[in-house]
Amino acid sequence: MSESDPSKFSMIDSPALSKPTTHNRPTLAELRRRLAGRWVFALLLATGCGILILLVLAPLYTLLSKSVENKAGDFVGLENFAHYLSTGGIESAFFNSLWVAGLSTVIVVSLAFMAAWALTRTRLPITGWIRGVLILPILAPSLLPAISLVYLFGNQGVLKSWLFGAEIYGPIGIIMGSCFWTFPHALMILLTAMDNADGRHYEAATALKASPWRTFWTVTVPGARYGLVSAGFVVFTLVITDFGVPKVIGGQFDVLATDIYKQVIGQQKFEMGAVVSVLLLLPAMLAFIADRYVQRKQSASFTARSVPYRPRQDRKRDALGALMLTPTLVFIFAIIGMAIYASFVTFWPYNLDLSLNNYQFGRMDGGGWGAYTNSLQMALGTMVVGTVLVFFNAWLMERTPQSRLLTGVFQFLSLLPLAVPGLVLGLSYIFFFNHPDNPINGIYGTLFILILCTVTHFYAVSHLTAVTALKQLDQEFEAVGESLNASRWRVLFTVTLPLCLPAILDVALYLFVNAMTTVSAVVFLYGHDSQLASVAVLNMDEAGDIAPAAAMAILITATCAVAKLIQGVLRFWVDRSTRAWRQGTE
Amino acid sequence: MNQKTQGSRLEIQSVNKFFGDFCALKDINLTIEPGELVCFLGPSGCGKTTLLRIIAGLEHQSGGLLHQGETDISLKPPRERDFGIVFQSYALFPNMTVTDNIAYGLRSIGMPKAQVRNRVDELLALVGLEDQASKYPAQLSGGQQQRVALARALAPSPGLLLLDEPLSALDAKVRQHLRGEIRSLQRQLGVTTVMVTHDQEEALAMADRVVVMNNGVIEQVGTPLDIYQQPASAFVASFIGAMNFIDSAPLNGQRVKVGNHELDLIRPLPTAEGCIQLAIRPEDVHLLPSGDGEWEGEVRALDYLGAFIRTLIRLSDIELDLVVDVDPRSARRLDLRVGSCVCLNLPSDALHCFAA
Repeated sequence: MSESDPSKFSMIDSPALSKPTTHNRPTLAELRRRLAGRWVFALLLATGCGILILLVLAPLYTLLSKSVENKAGDFVGLENFAHYLSTGGIESAFFNSLWVAGLSTVIVVSLAFMAAWALTRTRLPITGWIRGVLILPILAPSLLPAISLVYLFGNQGVLKSWLFGAEIYGPIGIIMGSCFWTFPHALMILLTAMDNADGRHYEAATALKASPWRTFWTVTVPGARYGLVSAGFVVFTLVITDFGVPKVIGGQFDVLATDIYKQVIGQQKFEMGAVVSVLLLLPAMLAFIADRYVQRKQSASFTARSVPYRPRQDRKRDALGALMLTPTLVFIFAIIGMAIYASFVTFWPYNLDLSLNNYQFGRMDGGGWGAYTNSLQMALGTMVVGTVLVFFNAWLMERTPQSRLLTGVFQFLSLLPLAVPGLVLGLSYIFFFNHPDNPINGIYGTLFILILCTVTHFYAVSHLTAVTALKQLDQEFEAVGESLNASRWRVLFTVTLPLCLPAILDVALYLFVNAMTTVSAVVFLYGHDSQLASVAVLNMDEAGDIAPAAAMAILITATCAVAKLIQGVLRFWVDRSTRAWRQGTE
Repeated sequence: MNQKTQGSRLEIQSVNKFFGDFCALKDINLTIEPGELVCFLGPSGCGKTTLLRIIAGLEHQSGGLLHQGETDISLKPPRERDFGIVFQSYALFPNMTVTDNIAYGLRSIGMPKAQVRNRVDELLALVGLEDQASKYPAQLSGGQQQRVALARALAPSPGLLLLDEPLSALDAKVRQHLRGEIRSLQRQLGVTTVMVTHDQEEALAMADRVVVMNNGVIEQVGTPLDIYQQPASAFVASFIGAMNFIDSAPLNGQRVKVGNHELDLIRPLPTAEGCIQLAIRPEDVHLLPSGDGEWEGEVRALDYLGAFIRTLIRLSDIELDLVVDVDPRSARRLDLRVGSCVCLNLPSDALHCFAA
């Protein structure tokens, strides 16, 4: 028996153990014990930290240092910033970005709140379908609404007269396009905030003789306030960091995102690109920190004692809800419908016969069908690598014994990508991975770096989803497992993973769709053999092949829709086969 | 089940636990005999759960030793210790049937399939859930889930069973029923059991011995009767059951002075100097018709609690409110009403005294 192991006795005989200790420093024995069996997990999470340092922190550092160097690589302090200031970049691009993003945020959050109210506080029929349509834009690349808007309101647009002589190329187009693709993000946050309303609050308001209007302002709005703030920050960040919409429809109107692109791709001024990146990083970081601060203050108002709110039958209120949903639904249908239609029109606006001409990508520049298959491979790769990495790390963080320090560092590194705009990430990848001294610069220009970059870009949201799912599991599962002689690994595979399957599917879909549609980070990183479909849309549009660009954008959207459908089927199957243990006797 | 698992003896020596500067457990010494059911009782934050988790190896003591039987388990990780545990939340695996939950620990140790089947059937019979074998936890009532958790913990025949507030998530009726069931099951199997609870009634009803804890130290260890009748400290006296406290000054010998009264005690005084606290249980106070007793008082409030009446009596001499439990018949005889005057005696054999 190992109890007679002499090494153990030597520790037991130490005076600190045999007598009651009065000091609070851990004894040597305690330290050893803490480490025993835990170092494997600590090492694994440290590896996770290392990976994220390599994928986020190190590139960002390179970017920051580039912004204070000249072309030759000498340190020049803030000279680059001064130069950018003197050429008027701040006045135009920086402030343009701020007000366009600000105005889009106000519009989107208002529309999303109206829609969320209609979906959760009235008894409209077919809300399931309505929700589906409202979420549709998330499946499209942000380039799609911009292209559609060109067809609708551009120089040869069908509805050009509606603008009363104003130009769609510029802030109007950017705001309209941004509203389209950021709407689902705001809606989902607000639906989460408003779906779980406590019916008792509404009954209390009624019992206290509050009018519907007063109830709205004293119960509904306060209940959704954190959601509203959070949606605001999210939309602001998405718009200010987006590159697709302003690139296609921005015309001569400069914003930070297009400025980075111009400095780097157009003028090969990498250090100036870094400068603009830092300027773009600032508002994004601020929004991120503010959002985190607000989220921390938010506590669950829906407790186990709450009774879910059920709206009462009220025709007038339903009509109001329908009225609030209509403009958004019409707008979404118009944008998507126009893009689909335009993609089939033979030669706009002279030959309106429908054909598949625009889908013959082989005849166009931009990478053709190869770009599409590359995108598929990249998206699948991102999905697999990302889901595994995210879940494994989240599991290590949540369900294995870890020191608080390591967990804190890891949490910070995981959320950091949320604050880093895609373009900034992409540019910093050039600096970091294309550096001649980097031992792995061989992956530059391959699909692999695109996968790494995309996983990083969308790491934070996936991480949060995984952590939320893991936190919901009973905290004692591992302890029970230990008492029953099962290792944490066995508990992981027999209990944790099966229970997290829905969340895993959600993360996989999220990564796939974003990898298919993203432009911003990858636009700097694709190589000759790794062109992507979303980038092809951009390049075809730039070359004037706007109809094929629309066709490719539709193809991407359709692919994402199929992915969503497959995920839906899988979730349905999982839900059905696990219904017995999820819902009990029902 | 006729096989009797031999429960193991557990010895806790000088166990300390610090969380940073906070001392959660201070010099805990305790021996638990084979087959015994011991309850750790105390208010929340007293360290009882921490001690249980240290016994399980889920927390590590900052100092001290643990022996289970002849084995030193102080340094062993939970997987190498011999115990089963039931948590307050049960932590049943929701994606597994009752059978799979119970079999989980048996499969961990690689028991052959046929044996697993037999053992699971045995346990299902033991907890009376034969007809629920293929159901999932979510399809069972709280009490049934509790029994599954118990069966799962007992399946590998551990020498030690740890119960962390096992009944607190249940309705009062189910709780009372399961109390008896767990107790008889434990007796039948002979498994040494440690149960953590903050419910004194539960502890007194179930335990062979109760360990009363407060602020990280053991206040008293004893049988339920000991704990109730001879509380070792003012804390134990007030935590277990109801107790009246009366400030008094010691005189000579075993005499104390309360207001204008002098009382003889049968127990020695805890201190010769300073204030001491006399204590008496509400049911030990003798109520007498007005003019018949040593103390005079006025009835302030009457609460009918079914089997007895809880009376609040203001002692006019020392301006102190005393809680007195009276049976309904005596209450009628004394014609107790709010505002009426009564007399009472404090029998010296029922008086406890503690250092103030």
